Amino acid sequence: MTGVDEVKLAARAGRGDTEAFGALIELHQAMARRVAYAILEDREDADDAAQEGFLSAWKAIARYDSSKAFRPWLMQIVVNAARDLRRRRRVRAADPLDSVSPAAKDDPARLVGDLDLGERLRTALATLPERQRLAVVMFDAEGYAQAEIAALLGIPEGTVKSDVFHGRRALRRVLGTVKEEYDE
Amino acid sequence: MNDHSPFDSAPDAELGAALREALAMPFGGAFVNRVRARINQSRQRSWDEELAGWFWQGLVAASFVTVLAGWGLNTFSSAADETDNAATSIASQLLDGTTPGASVLLASMTSTDTP
Repeated sequence: MTGVDEVKLAARAGRGDTEAFGALIELHQAMARRVAYAILEDREDADDAAQEGFLSAWKAIARYDSSKAFRPWLMQIVVNAARDLRRRRRVRAADPLDSVSPAAKDDPARLVGDLDLGERLRTALATLPERQRLAVVMFDAEGYAQAEIAALLGIPEGTVKSDVFHGRRALRRVLGTVKEEYDE
Repeated sequence: MNDHSPFDSAPDAELGAALREALAMPFGGAFVNRVRARINQSRQRSWDEELAGWFWQGLVAASFVTVLAGWGLNTFSSAADETDNAATSIASQLLDGTTPGASVLLASMTSTDTP
């Protein structure tokens, strides 16, 4: 996918080659930070979680099974790091999703009326449950197969399909609203 | 966009691109440098931890040697004390003349002095 042999880089990293692991970070940082953001909904927290994920991956890289794909292995670690951070943040502060009213959850398109497309999508994502957010971001934005997402999140594939369905429906409504505005 | 059904099993390229843009995080280079620095720090810490591990092993070994040396010294000094005590007690008995053998010994010593 990237044209780089990730397995060879991972094997070198497993022997302590920090340059090889640095190349893996460069390849996957954008995706790792987006996925962490989908869980945490805060840029700084997402960066902290992605960093923790990469550090954990570095510590565990010697145990990476090269017969399996590297990307899902890494993303599993990043998702775990983001969820851990979210759990710790919840202890200290109220869940940011609580600030979204139930009415807005029913109709994200209405909530995001005056924002630009990026803001509208982020706000619409915030109205979705975490699992739906992750499923739709990983499937449509990051290109993971539904079976991979199911394995990564530890849920049945049918649940992933359902989450992608519901997530897409809410987000497409937002995109549709933006398109209508442009057409007018 | 509306050509897609939510049931599609293929990724929605348009929604995917919009999501990637919406969730894009700035300063990718700075992030990579930050993580690389943390990894180098953790390597440094590993070396320190290795030294700390050796420190504790060394401390345990030194304690063992100290205990062993203390025990050896104690044993040696006890034996020396016992020898000293025995010598002192024989000499004091001879000088006090409290034992019968002492007078015989002293008499034999004085008889050789006067022919």
